[in-house]
Amino acid sequence: MLSQISKEIPTNKNFHKLVSVRQRVSWSFLLVLLGLYLVFGMLSVYSPSLLARPVISDGVIPIGIAMGYAILALSFVLTLVYVWLANKYFEPLEKKIMAELEQ
Amino acid sequence: MRVWLITFISLMLLPATDAEAATVIASGIGAGDELNIIAIGMFLVFIAITLAITFWAASRTRTRSDFYAAGSSIGGFQNGLAIAGDFMSAATFLGVTALVYSTGMDAMLFVIGGTLGWSVILLLIAERLRNLGRYTFSDVVAFRLERKPVRTMSAIGTLAVAIPYLLAQMVGAGALIQSLFSLPYEYAVVLVGVLMTFYVTFGGMLATTWIQTIKAVLLLTGGTIIAVGVMVMLNFDFGALVTGAVEAHPKGEAIMAPGVMFTDPITIISIGLAFVFGTAGLPHVLMRFFTVPDARQARRSVAYAIGFIGYFQSLIFIIGLGAVIYVSNNPEFQAAGGGLIGGVNMAAIHLAKVIGGDLFLGFISAVAFATILAVVSGLTLSAAAAVSHDIYANVICDGHSDRKTELRISRITTLVIGLSTMALAILLEGENVAVLALIALAIAASVNFPVMFLSMYWSKLTTRGALAGGYAGLATALLLVLLGPTVWVSLLGFDKPVFPYRYPTLFAMLASLIFAFWFSVLDKSQRALAELKSFDAQWIRSEIGPVREKT
Repeated sequence: MLSQISKEIPTNKNFHKLVSVRQRVSWSFLLVLLGLYLVFGMLSVYSPSLLARPVISDGVIPIGIAMGYAILALSFVLTLVYVWLANKYFEPLEKKIMAELEQ
Repeated sequence: MRVWLITFISLMLLPATDAEAATVIASGIGAGDELNIIAIGMFLVFIAITLAITFWAASRTRTRSDFYAAGSSIGGFQNGLAIAGDFMSAATFLGVTALVYSTGMDAMLFVIGGTLGWSVILLLIAERLRNLGRYTFSDVVAFRLERKPVRTMSAIGTLAVAIPYLLAQMVGAGALIQSLFSLPYEYAVVLVGVLMTFYVTFGGMLATTWIQTIKAVLLLTGGTIIAVGVMVMLNFDFGALVTGAVEAHPKGEAIMAPGVMFTDPITIISIGLAFVFGTAGLPHVLMRFFTVPDARQARRSVAYAIGFIGYFQSLIFIIGLGAVIYVSNNPEFQAAGGGLIGGVNMAAIHLAKVIGGDLFLGFISAVAFATILAVVSGLTLSAAAAVSHDIYANVICDGHSDRKTELRISRITTLVIGLSTMALAILLEGENVAVLALIALAIAASVNFPVMFLSMYWSKLTTRGALAGGYAGLATALLLVLLGPTVWVSLLGFDKPVFPYRYPTLFAMLASLIFAFWFSVLDKSQRALAELKSFDAQWIRSEIGPVREKT
């Protein structure tokens, strides 16, 4: 049922732009978050004492808690960025592609 | 429909007329103190509201789309709350708080993992899922692959996650309600089972969504009050929270360093994978994305959900450490044989009493009960949809099912699931059910997630590859849990585990991906060729949604 559209899509520049930009954004956000998580996990195996050390020399908040909360905060910030990009950039592009296909 | 409804209600009222039951319940209430009356009162209000919602929803549930997906009429904000509600189960609220309470920093691994699962859903899954599917995630997997075998597999994946998870929640619920309301275990389980069956059978997704929404608001409110209460007592000094907990905890400084529970990298990676990708493969969570009208609202749903979940997860640490300071050394909460009254899972509940007295304790108890009810309802609905939409309508009827019969089958399935989980939960009283939750999350991460992910992103995935990957993940996860310390040693009584790790997810996920890869690459059949060709159409639709054909 999508035969006609499948034929046109390969030549549609906007579609390729949308897909490549969106995938690059998604994967890089994800790599950053999962990478930090992996760092946290590996630190907790190989260097638990580092995570227990206070963030500032005479403080009491340990690095582990600060890092955990920082990852939570970053995941939230990246969510906001993604939604902002989607509204500002991806969605208008989708509408444009639709219009081109449905003309 | 009306006849069914009336029969059901009279069945529900039956225990109340049963003299024996009435005395047991009455003696339970009598044996407790004021807090029970407050808690039961608040809980009855919650039940009354949810029953009213169910009646209202029942009158609006006519089509399949109504039953499975609330007519795709829910907005992004409300669905975000409901999604957060699905995730914030009693296990997260009480279980993770208990983990912070007893091990400190180790709990951070769960807190981060659970939250990042939502980032995976937002960035890779949500919009594409909504663009490709109608009612269940199997719709997506079966989009271009052969319908019958693939749907059978993903329905098995759904049931293998939903049923153990449901059972774990029911057993936990029974024990929790027993200690909260002094109600005998069996009655607690039956109460939960009957209510959840009622909500799902008559109210479908619409009732389930509203119950989940209300519960999410209650839980967020309750958690906020506890956390703020702790910080008020400490004059909003986070340093005092940390030093106070270290002073009060028997392990002292050690709770601020990880490694109390997990010390090897394989275990850490398995837990991380289970939490991140298992969360993204939970069938009742994935089903929520079909309750919104389009991909845009699906995206908004996760964005709101991430906000609520991240906020709640960050309260958990404050609540857990607060409980160490104000509950662990408080003689009021010590059981006669040492430890907390009702076990460590009660840490958050006891803390509520310290903060707001009996009134707030009653509120939090009712919220905990509401949480269990809402989560089991969502799980039951996803299991029922796997049987009626995936197996009955698409495998048995080849996609040409009659609406009435299909809905009747999903209601009967709900009833069967309700009755059998009640019976099993009663049999499992007092057993350690952690293994069930472990299996559920491992299977979600190594069956549902890889198959769905590959079908969306990898053009060369074939039916044969999807089946090999899904079943390999399932078999590996089950086998490794069986041979691991949890079952082989603790349950079966052997000296040494055959498989040394408690958590199978790393190996099961790898097995799933490797099998899916090789069986797809080696698949040279005509069908495989056709499936490769139809990927483009699926890919386009997954990226921009359904496109109207030119006329």
